Amino acid sequence: MTHALLAATPLWMPSAADLQRLGPLWSLAGTIVAVLFAALLVGRNYRVAGAIATLGGVFTATLCWRGITGGAVPFAGLAPEAAAPMLVVDQFSCFFIFLISVFLVLVTGMWFMGLDAGVPDEAARRRDAVEFFVLFVGSAFGMALMVSTSNLLMIILAVESASLPSYGLAGFRKKHRPAAEASLKYILFGAVTSAISVYGASLLYGQFHTLDLMKISTAIGSQGISVLTGVGLFAFLIGVAFKVSAVPFHFWCPDVFEGASIEITTWLSVASKAAGLGLMLRIMWLLSCTVQSADAMRWVAHAVAIMAAITCTVGNFSAFRQTNLKRLLAFSSIAHAGYMLMAVSIIWQPRESAAGMPHPASSAVIAYMIVYLLMNLAAFGVVAMVYWSTGRETMDAFNGLGWRNPLLGVVMATCLFSLVGLPPLGGFITKYYLLIALYDASLIWLIFVAVFNTLLSLYYYARIAYAMYFVQSDEAPVRAPAMGQFAVLMCAAAIVLSGTFYAGKLKSFSDQRSRDMYGAMQPTGLRVAERPTADSMH
Amino acid sequence: MLTIGLNHYLVLSAIVFSLGILCMVTKRNALGILIGVELVLNAANVNLVAFSRYQTGAADGHMFAVFVILLAAAEAAIGIAIFMNFYNTLQTIDVDRGDELRN
Repeated sequence: MTHALLAATPLWMPSAADLQRLGPLWSLAGTIVAVLFAALLVGRNYRVAGAIATLGGVFTATLCWRGITGGAVPFAGLAPEAAAPMLVVDQFSCFFIFLISVFLVLVTGMWFMGLDAGVPDEAARRRDAVEFFVLFVGSAFGMALMVSTSNLLMIILAVESASLPSYGLAGFRKKHRPAAEASLKYILFGAVTSAISVYGASLLYGQFHTLDLMKISTAIGSQGISVLTGVGLFAFLIGVAFKVSAVPFHFWCPDVFEGASIEITTWLSVASKAAGLGLMLRIMWLLSCTVQSADAMRWVAHAVAIMAAITCTVGNFSAFRQTNLKRLLAFSSIAHAGYMLMAVSIIWQPRESAAGMPHPASSAVIAYMIVYLLMNLAAFGVVAMVYWSTGRETMDAFNGLGWRNPLLGVVMATCLFSLVGLPPLGGFITKYYLLIALYDASLIWLIFVAVFNTLLSLYYYARIAYAMYFVQSDEAPVRAPAMGQFAVLMCAAAIVLSGTFYAGKLKSFSDQRSRDMYGAMQPTGLRVAERPTADSMH
Repeated sequence: MLTIGLNHYLVLSAIVFSLGILCMVTKRNALGILIGVELVLNAANVNLVAFSRYQTGAADGHMFAVFVILLAAAEAAIGIAIFMNFYNTLQTIDVDRGDELRN
């Protein structure tokens, strides 16, 4: 049997052109190796390690930007069979890898700022910097893999290679009780969900005899969704829902965000969610890529919509009672993941009428993701600077912040009102795009849920703003690094601009990415017969 | 004479899966939960190899199973490192003792 198998499988080598197209992935993988080898050559120097990670991030971002703007990098399937690719680097994944690697650079900057601002465990940080950056870039690599694959096996490996370094990062502070506890909870949750996800993948494999999502989708189109398929699909999606921290797989999120050091919290709150949502979008999109399978996937999409609604509501309600800012922002990030999942739940709807038009769901997610990155970076940046100055992350450290450091107060207020989604800010305009997309998809009940949740969230965000301006405090002024203040100010400015003068630009940028995606995500000729292609526009 | 077929393997895998889930739910020791995870992963492996052997005749199921073994090893390695770290701070790996972070 084994001999027959080996004889039947021809020896296959990827071509140099195929390998070249995986540039962003090579670049991140190379960065990991470079950090390790640099430690071997020049010794354990934290500056060298950080500089290599930064350079790697910048280089990857440049490659991806070229992939985004350069137009035609439609598809690179690294597999013997062209119709069943293992790795996919297209416009869609280029955008998400770009986001992840830019964020990698920013968080590295934050890590260095924390050193100068005198964090408590400074000596240990310098000493373990090499391991830190290896794990850090390693998780970025896993996340980059997550958004560039359409194969069940590769999805599971990608989720794992994003998760495993993250477990280590969450518990990176040794002899620190919250960190130890956070990483324990993180790995147990992650291991359980990924095991169930693997079992689900094995059921799907047994049902459809293939690991490729496109082929599974075609089979779903002709056979419909049986009970076993449904069970397999949901079990498989649990692993992704864990990364997105969708309820009921969100329990790790607040604990990890509170226990991990603040750079890691910032990193996980944006990058891990971006990768998870990108993967979720691709899975849902590929599985509903023919008209018949879209029809069959309707029920799965409804389940995702319900999960999104519950995620939003639970996230917002749980945020009410929090006094630790990191924990509060964790619940806020769960709620935001819920909003973005709402868009994922409408991606199955076919758009035959408008050939080459971007899918509103994916462009809503992209716009949302860009502004969400800015909001979270600035909000966590302010929390970090207050922590470096006062040593506390609780709400009372923010009392009177508006007077103790006016700049940080203004930035934080901007972020908070943008997170709520109030009009002149970026958070409003992206939420508006999202609601329009939901309206087009005639999911009116989901719009009500989203608006209701926005009102709920106003309470706890406004509570922080209230503490900053209306609670008296006789504490010393908050001293913050100049570079850090400049960075968060730039983020706040970008949030304001994206909601006002550049709202149209944001829309057209995300539409463009989404249009590219719409074209790029049609790997083979499978969909062409049923649906108009985006290529007819170009 | 009974011949062993696909269904036997699937039933075996379902039993192992259920035992794994039971183990995860009932154990309070972190290592016990990790053992439950390994059981579920091995249930998936039995599925994959059986499907590959009886239905598709292709190598991808076998390949998947090899990767799952690798994944289980990586998870156990980092998991036990984290359990050690937890043990060093709390002198236990009972997950219920990790109760500092809560609402």
